[in-house]
Amino acid sequence: MVNQNSARGFFLAGVALFFMATALRYPLGDLAHAGPGLFPLLLSVPLLAIALLIIVQARLSAPVPLSFNLKNIALIMLGLVAFVVGAQLVNAAVGIVLMVFIAGFAAVTYSWTRNLKIALGLIVVAYVFEHFLGLNLRLF
Amino acid sequence: MDILNNLAFGFEHALTPANLLYCAIGCVVGTLVGLLPGLGPLATISLLLPLTYSLPTGGALIMLAGIYYGAQYGDSVSAITMKIPHASSIVACIDGYQMTLKGKTGLALFTAGVSSFIGGTVAIVVLASLAPTLGQVALLFGPTDYCALMLVGFVCVSFITTGSLLNGLAMCLLGVLLGQVGTDLETGMERFTFGLPSLTDGVSLVSLALGCFGIAEITKNLDAREERTPFNGKIHLMPTWPEFKRIIPSALRGSVVGSILGILPGGGPVIAQFAAYALDKKVSKYKHEIGDGAIEGVAGQAAADEAAARTSFIPLMSIGIPENAVMALMMAAFIIKGIQPGPNMIAKHPDLFWGLVASMWVGNCFLLILNVPLVRFWLSVFKIPYNVLFPSILFFCCIGTFSVNNSLNDIFTTAAFGLIGYTMMRLALDPAPMMLGFILGPMLEEYFRRSMIISRGSFTTFFTHPISATLLSLIGLFFAFQLFVAFRTKRAMVVEAPAASG
Repeated sequence: MVNQNSARGFFLAGVALFFMATALRYPLGDLAHAGPGLFPLLLSVPLLAIALLIIVQARLSAPVPLSFNLKNIALIMLGLVAFVVGAQLVNAAVGIVLMVFIAGFAAVTYSWTRNLKIALGLIVVAYVFEHFLGLNLRLF
Repeated sequence: MDILNNLAFGFEHALTPANLLYCAIGCVVGTLVGLLPGLGPLATISLLLPLTYSLPTGGALIMLAGIYYGAQYGDSVSAITMKIPHASSIVACIDGYQMTLKGKTGLALFTAGVSSFIGGTVAIVVLASLAPTLGQVALLFGPTDYCALMLVGFVCVSFITTGSLLNGLAMCLLGVLLGQVGTDLETGMERFTFGLPSLTDGVSLVSLALGCFGIAEITKNLDAREERTPFNGKIHLMPTWPEFKRIIPSALRGSVVGSILGILPGGGPVIAQFAAYALDKKVSKYKHEIGDGAIEGVAGQAAADEAAARTSFIPLMSIGIPENAVMALMMAAFIIKGIQPGPNMIAKHPDLFWGLVASMWVGNCFLLILNVPLVRFWLSVFKIPYNVLFPSILFFCCIGTFSVNNSLNDIFTTAAFGLIGYTMMRLALDPAPMMLGFILGPMLEEYFRRSMIISRGSFTTFFTHPISATLLSLIGLFFAFQLFVAFRTKRAMVVEAPAASG
């Protein structure tokens, strides 16, 4: 079991170390004449300290299980990517259909007819956006 | 008299047909957002922010403000009828839902609607009289004072919104760090861009907001897999005279509490409704009934909720510092439209400021109509299944992202922030303080660097200026108090443990 509290600490520590290491690659200057790396470095130090404190706290308290449903977030991400790829390779209407049918797998129940109706409805909305609000979407 | 003249001037702008339309759209969308589970004002303002680019400045801000305070009206409806709480309607679930169980849904909805109207009206008077004065005070602020004020805001928001000071502060810092991505304005050097042209201007606010609030929220709701039963009960809206008389004092108390707490850093509707509810439990004539479906349990919190939503505009428009994440997004909307909120805003754009204030009262009237006589129609919104709703929200996230730069590739950035936002949600990290940090980050850096240049690199400058010294002392006292509380709790646990085992 992954402890949510420890995972939180490690996640924040990772982010802090990433920004710290990258900030050190830029000129730091001094406080009176700060370089582009100084301010991010000054911020990542307390972030790292907080992350370490959270890790220590997690060791001293009862663990909380981390729940992470990879399926739903993966389907949503895939739906978004399908929208972009479909819109780039064919047109936005195809992108909408792909997105609705892929993201639909994340719903409680899956229905082809429901997805078709949603996709058609969204294509109509996109048509309104394109022709009446001037959105440059290349729907067809 | 000045205020009346200014308000009359504001109404001239608010009552133009175009602005009335924007206000009505904002209120309708806001009410809808308030009703729908899993779509808060933060996500909706992020969603609609790009669409306001083509609107006139006044109309865009009136519409976005309408969404925010409209959502406060709408969310009490779902809380009262179906016990579906949003962040700012948790308290409405207590007595409001109890009233529904007793068959008094109509009375509860009427109470919430009228109290929100009273709260909104009182808050507009406070906003109109206090914002210009506070704007004058803000002219005394120097760069060190602004830095200290932002830190106070970070600490308050971190503590209040997340409940955990450490998690909240970490998220604020993360937000400020994300705000560092892009070109450094002082030296022109690119930071954290890794050669990606799309990051030269920094992380897109819309991608960050839609990813962390829109997509992450959709996925969280899908994970929950809850099917909700729509409300099908009867609604009798009109109260009796004795019932109506009970609403007024409680609503007025709530209005005062909400107006005050809305102004404080980190304040806003959530804390205001709890405070108003607690006050009613102490001082109300019917305090023994509160908790079992009392009118006062709905009236006070609804008024406070609405009042705080309006007065939270005061720090933004008079000092230029947003006090919560929604206000930070509003600030972004102001900046996108080329207006810097702050002490000079009222003098430079009086039409905009007074027009917005006046439109809030117009919006109040729209919302009273939408949420009291027309509430039956809104309840049919609950009949839309989430399976239909979520692909539509996803589509609007795509359209919202695309419309900023007409670039489909930006949707990849939104998707990446969706994944990061979902991960943070699962790690119990609230993205709201991050949003505040992200928007204030560049300003914090600018004021910090300016303070350091003026003081020739001496940190003591923060303690030699009276305003910043006072604000930083308050932060110090708060941290000391938190440490004391943590130490005392730990000691009590150590003492109790052997006693329990013995």
